[in-house]
Amino acid sequence: MKLENEDALNHYIICQQCYTLNEELPIEDGSKACCAECGEILYRYDSKLIDHALSWSITGLIFFALANAFPLVMIDLLGSEQFITIPKTIASLFANGFYIVGFLCLFLIFIFPLMILLINIVLFTLLKTGRGEDLTKELLILLSRITPWSMADIFFISILVALVKLIAFGQIHIGISFWALMAFVLIDLYITKSIRIPEIWMLRKKIFPKEAAA
Amino acid sequence: MIEIDEDKLIRCPVCDAVNIDKGKKNSCRRCGSAIYHHKKFSTEKSWAYLITALIAYIPANLYPMLVTSAFGSREGSTILGGVVLLWEMGSYPVAVIIFIASIMIPISKFLILFYLLISVKYPLGKDKKVNKHKLYYFTEVIGPWSMIDVFVVAILAALIHLSSVEILAGTAATAFAISVFFTLLAAHAFDETLIKENR
Repeated sequence: MKLENEDALNHYIICQQCYTLNEELPIEDGSKACCAECGEILYRYDSKLIDHALSWSITGLIFFALANAFPLVMIDLLGSEQFITIPKTIASLFANGFYIVGFLCLFLIFIFPLMILLINIVLFTLLKTGRGEDLTKELLILLSRITPWSMADIFFISILVALVKLIAFGQIHIGISFWALMAFVLIDLYITKSIRIPEIWMLRKKIFPKEAAA
Repeated sequence: MIEIDEDKLIRCPVCDAVNIDKGKKNSCRRCGSAIYHHKKFSTEKSWAYLITALIAYIPANLYPMLVTSAFGSREGSTILGGVVLLWEMGSYPVAVIIFIASIMIPISKFLILFYLLISVKYPLGKDKKVNKHKLYYFTEVIGPWSMIDVFVVAILAALIHLSSVEILAGTAATAFAISVFFTLLAAHAFDETLIKENR
């Protein structure tokens, strides 16, 4: 394989799933490129990626705030009504001395999902205004480090499982937060699964072309 | 003009950029992160995390995950006990979900990582038929889902909290959370480029 220089490698991409080398070709707006070997999606092209990502992130943040502010599930237990919110769930772990599980939950279902949203908002605002060449780089590195550790979607499935286990105890009412969390999880899945980090790097390269020349 | 072998190209684990494998000291051209490539200690880090996870997985199965105390009587249920209980109650889908998340996923992750770590050092004859990159990708995708049981325990313990009826998290919850955490670390510490080298 012959290359002009090392920067020519920018036109290649290695598949996430099967490690096959693929050449990166310009594709139509709104379409996606798949791996020649295994069919896994390599990248998409969206000319309005910044606006889409920004609007989804802000919507996600609103739902995240709602999901944390209101009761998630309520239960009538022996005549008294009990409810939980997400912060209360984590706090009760600490209160019962389960510090390790408490810290894990705090980071996996609260801090990391929130950080991903905030990083996305800052990152795409910077890219939109065309500033912060170094900061966007740092943010992108941080983003790819914490993305595998965000488990809001898994927490949502856990709530469903917990609900089934709770049927034996009493009447269950689903709170506002439950629906907000569902909306948040769907948006979070959309952001982390469909806006792939390599695409943001490609976008960054287009916005700050100077670095490529240097 | 430079000429390189296609096998010498590696993917940056952080930003997915294609890089040329330059041996010991690699740093990604795009994001600058180090792409570890230590000739001597290639798999040790991942081994250490994996063994820690394996050790934590033993108490996670022996001690109770949930302790239900109702009107003075305390009853603990282990992970497997909880699955059996749910099955007997008739909630088959949930029993299956918990069984897959807490037993099948951790064990298959252990086995896959064991296989990957051994096979990159001592290539076996039949290795070529297995796509190890896909296997590794699979462990990365399924890994976090074993946290379901820990979250369920956290929700139940927070919600059922009266003096007469109470659910408490058991010792196994901590052990299991640690075990999952370390399997995730082990998977992240695994150097994917080693698969390529031993193909």
